[in-house]
Amino acid sequence: MASLDTPAGAKWRWGLLDVVVVVFALVPVLWIMSLSFKTPATLTDGKFVPREWTLENYRTIFATDQFVRALVNSIGIALIATAVAVVLGTMAAYAISRLDFPGKKLLVGVSLLIAMFPQVSLVSPLFEIERQLGLFDTWPGLILPYITFALPLAIYTLSAFFKQIPWDLEKAAKMDGATQGQAFRRVIAPLAAPGVFTTAILVFIFCWNDFLFAISLTSTERSRTVPVALSFFTGESQFEDPTGAISAAAVVITVPIILFVLFFQRRIVSGLTSGAVKG
Amino acid sequence: MADIVLDKVGKRFPDGTVAVSEVDLEIADGEFVILVGPSGCGKSTTLNMIAGLEDISSGELRIGGERVNDKAPRDRDIAMVFQSYALYPNMTVRENMAFPLKLAKLDKATIDRKVDEAAKVLELTALLDRRPANLSGGQRQRVAMGRAIVRQPKAFLMDEPLSNLDAKLRVQMRTVVSRLQKKLGTTTVYVTHDQTEAMTLGDRVVIMRGGAVQQVGPPQELYDHPANLFVAGFIGSPSMNFLPATAEQGRLRTALGELPIGDRMRRELEAGNAPRELIVGIRPEHFEDAELVDDETRRRGVEFAAPVDIVESMGSDKYVYFTVEGERATAAELEELAADSGAAEFTGAGSNLVTRLSAESTVAEGEQRRVWCNLEKIHLFDPANGRNLTLHEGRSAGALAD
Repeated sequence: MASLDTPAGAKWRWGLLDVVVVVFALVPVLWIMSLSFKTPATLTDGKFVPREWTLENYRTIFATDQFVRALVNSIGIALIATAVAVVLGTMAAYAISRLDFPGKKLLVGVSLLIAMFPQVSLVSPLFEIERQLGLFDTWPGLILPYITFALPLAIYTLSAFFKQIPWDLEKAAKMDGATQGQAFRRVIAPLAAPGVFTTAILVFIFCWNDFLFAISLTSTERSRTVPVALSFFTGESQFEDPTGAISAAAVVITVPIILFVLFFQRRIVSGLTSGAVKG
Repeated sequence: MADIVLDKVGKRFPDGTVAVSEVDLEIADGEFVILVGPSGCGKSTTLNMIAGLEDISSGELRIGGERVNDKAPRDRDIAMVFQSYALYPNMTVRENMAFPLKLAKLDKATIDRKVDEAAKVLELTALLDRRPANLSGGQRQRVAMGRAIVRQPKAFLMDEPLSNLDAKLRVQMRTVVSRLQKKLGTTTVYVTHDQTEAMTLGDRVVIMRGGAVQQVGPPQELYDHPANLFVAGFIGSPSMNFLPATAEQGRLRTALGELPIGDRMRRELEAGNAPRELIVGIRPEHFEDAELVDDETRRRGVEFAAPVDIVESMGSDKYVYFTVEGERATAAELEELAADSGAAEFTGAGSNLVTRLSAESTVAEGEQRRVWCNLEKIHLFDPANGRNLTLHEGRSAGALAD
């Protein structure tokens, strides 16, 4: 944050650096948006702004059952995995930040281990296990590994949030006549809301973006998610270049993420706990 | 409305440390009791045990005659004000105060009436729709009190409620707390580390040290008749002067010269097990500029001369610091008190004597001055166990008593 006495030169330097970072991050996004609006003929003309605008690419992808089906799979799987991970993570994080129970260090250590584990080394065993259990190419077959890898993330993020909530508030609630459950629901949970939403966004993006599990643990449209479906895109005929359609699909799948973030952003009000305790 | 009885209540943590050992205390219905002591003395733990936020390891706690050891805080019907205030930041002032009533499932009209009443008492009416974040420290403190009084509990527990306020506001809120407690007549247990708060607020003061009660009594009694070195040093500001003394042939040899002792004291000191090395305790106000003392008064004390170090004129009095020869008095209690006030690392050579002289005194820094000291008011302590030897049946009679 630039304070009032920051020299003008420093402000400019920081501003420039910010611009460089933003451009670096956004150029590929803008490029793919531009591609998605181009006609097949102008696709390779190398112009950043399309010469001929068309919505044909979007019509194409929504006309194919392949993409719509994958979109439904993606949304369903990501939402369910997020919901379960956040609920479980909230309870685990609350216990970790508030209670001293035997094996707490071990639990935190193990969850860290899971987060660190290279996922690619698990793909083959998971493939075998899921085939044996009949989970291969089903929604639960993806939801379960997603929850497993999202939980450590959720627990870490949420316990950081819970630790910020003054313990005195809970004691005060108990003195005011609340049960443990009421204290959690009416005092702690509303204050932890920003943390819960932040975690939800992170977990959702993790599930939404996953390609590795999605391509290894699915085989048909039944449970194939969008990132995988994209890689199978061929276009109308074998000879048609699917670049436009892939670009359109790529743009479409960023939309839910943006909506998700925008929707929850209003609730991520920093400093919600200010005024609780002294100061 | 209820009395609170602590019957040998103790707290031992799982790692074996004893935070509170066998506290016996009877708090009468409507009484205002202060728990005071340096940090780590077990006063907050004791309060938390009364509240039910900490388990009681041993002994029995009775509220209104009923054993509550195993009851949850919400079943004890007591309210607590926290040092941090612990207001719910997601609720307005009104919702904060209504929270305990809502949990008690009162109907909306009753809740509104009670909140409005409490808000009026604490002058919070204009702030009812604000959130804690938009309140000043003093206002937050009042909301915390409002939340406590609104449901008319059996007792109030207050854990250093004023220590986050600035000095001026603290003095002001002290009178508010005092007036409120008198008006409501609710049994109150108040924890503080500030001896001034303890002296001014309580009907009775409990002084704690290392998890044990040192002395219980009305403020004036603790001041006049301290049971031991710790109480004597803790109560009073500026605190009591302590000087080492040696008992020899019916007299006390001190840095102030030889002091006579009365018959009763002498008999005690001549007993076989009596210590020969003692600590003399004299409060600053028991000194006077020798020029201002009349002959009648002069006979009740001794005079000595000492170099004046510093003069602080308070307008009504003068605090005069003298340098006196000889060793500093040493005892475990004194070291603990010094550590608590942060003065431990601040020791000059020789000892310093703090006196409170009349404003008329013409004393000046750097000069040698004759000072009179009232012998009827001095205390003698045993350095080994800190006991006040001048105390007889709870009264301190000074060193001269016959």
